[in-house]
Amino acid sequence: MLSAINISCQRGRQMLWKDLSLETMPGTITFIRGANGQGKSSLLRILAGLSTPYEGQIRWQGELLKKNLDDFHRSISYFGHTIPLKGDLSAINNLSYLMQIHGLSYSNDVIEKALLDWGLPARAIHLPAKLLSQGQKQRVCLAQLLLSQSVVWILDEPFNGLDLNGSSLLLTTFAKHLSQQGSIVLTSHLHTSLRLPNSPLQDCVESIIELQGV
Amino acid sequence: MTTQSNSNLKTRSSNFVILYSVFKRDIGLALTRKTDTLGAIFFFALIVSLFPLGIGSEPNLLRLIAPGVIWVSALLASMLSTNRLFNDDYQDGILEQLLLSPCPLELIVFTKILAHWCCTGLILLIASPILAIQFDMSSETILVLMMGLAIGTPILSCIGAIGSALTLGLKSSGALISLLALPLLIPVLILGTLAVGAVGSNVSFSVYLNLLAALCMLSIFFGPIASAAGLRIALD
Repeated sequence: MLSAINISCQRGRQMLWKDLSLETMPGTITFIRGANGQGKSSLLRILAGLSTPYEGQIRWQGELLKKNLDDFHRSISYFGHTIPLKGDLSAINNLSYLMQIHGLSYSNDVIEKALLDWGLPARAIHLPAKLLSQGQKQRVCLAQLLLSQSVVWILDEPFNGLDLNGSSLLLTTFAKHLSQQGSIVLTSHLHTSLRLPNSPLQDCVESIIELQGV
Repeated sequence: MTTQSNSNLKTRSSNFVILYSVFKRDIGLALTRKTDTLGAIFFFALIVSLFPLGIGSEPNLLRLIAPGVIWVSALLASMLSTNRLFNDDYQDGILEQLLLSPCPLELIVFTKILAHWCCTGLILLIASPILAIQFDMSSETILVLMMGLAIGTPILSCIGAIGSALTLGLKSSGALISLLALPLLIPVLILGTLAVGAVGSNVSFSVYLNLLAALCMLSIFFGPIASAAGLRIALD
């Protein structure tokens, strides 16, 4: 589906990593590991088409990104470091706006149910998002994943701020996505692998990419 | 492709729906943050009102300087508000999501500029005849002033947007935008004031308004494209 061919990344004058190739397959997780400052987030931004690689190419369904950008944007979900919520709008407004940006209109009931499924208390749904805790904001953001219908999820530290219950919800969501032939690219500090014993992902196909400096 | 993305195509909405929601939300946010929106308008009204107080009540002099004063104030008020055009969305990370929208970024930027114009330019336009009375302007001059502002304020928003996109994420972006955009806005200022000045003389004011309209078309076409390019670079 999404493939990177011999890409390298340069920040300032420093080459972070080079000659990296990867391909996401339906139903698999690509786990990106590396120390702080090793360029994990840069790799995810390149994969999402936000940054251009210093060398090499990114292809979607075998074609260069530029050629079918529209289809690519409809098929991916990307979450970076900042949680894309407006502080003075309610969680439900924020989520429905995020969906609208990606060309999906849902009724408020569907959005509300998605938020409740993600464990947001009913009274928090209509509160301004700035009053939510970090973990709750993260949950609002993650509630977008299942609604988005996108095929490739590109997630930068999705477990940040989540409690145990939230993490296991996320793992269940991952399992569901993989069973529908979706694919996931992610980074995480908390895990070295997602194939934890007794987790919904223990039998998943996982390819681990270890970023190493040049 | 997986069936997951194809089975629900019914819920996919067109670009127009995406743009409508961007517009609606920007207007909604401007209405909730009244101090930010009204700030520029108060600034405009204040500057324009200070001139008659400072210069004295000589009607001929006031009539002479009125177009210049109103146009310069409109320019500054518009500069004051453009630095927030993209910066808020950039800080919140929403700009990244807008870049990943299936709708072309240029159209989204155009919509954001339009929403911004509705919250500043349009209100300046509505407020201008009331302020013009302080300068003892005739009704015909006021009409030409308003026509000039109606054509000219979209240019201010479009060029301000380019400046805002280029200075995205910088701390002292306000001063830098003014430095970048103000020189480009000088023709607008000159044509706008000349049009008002031409009323009652033997030169037709429509010449200046036509030139202004040409500039307006150019900036509406190139403004969003240049701003979108600036945003892509800023987020790279």
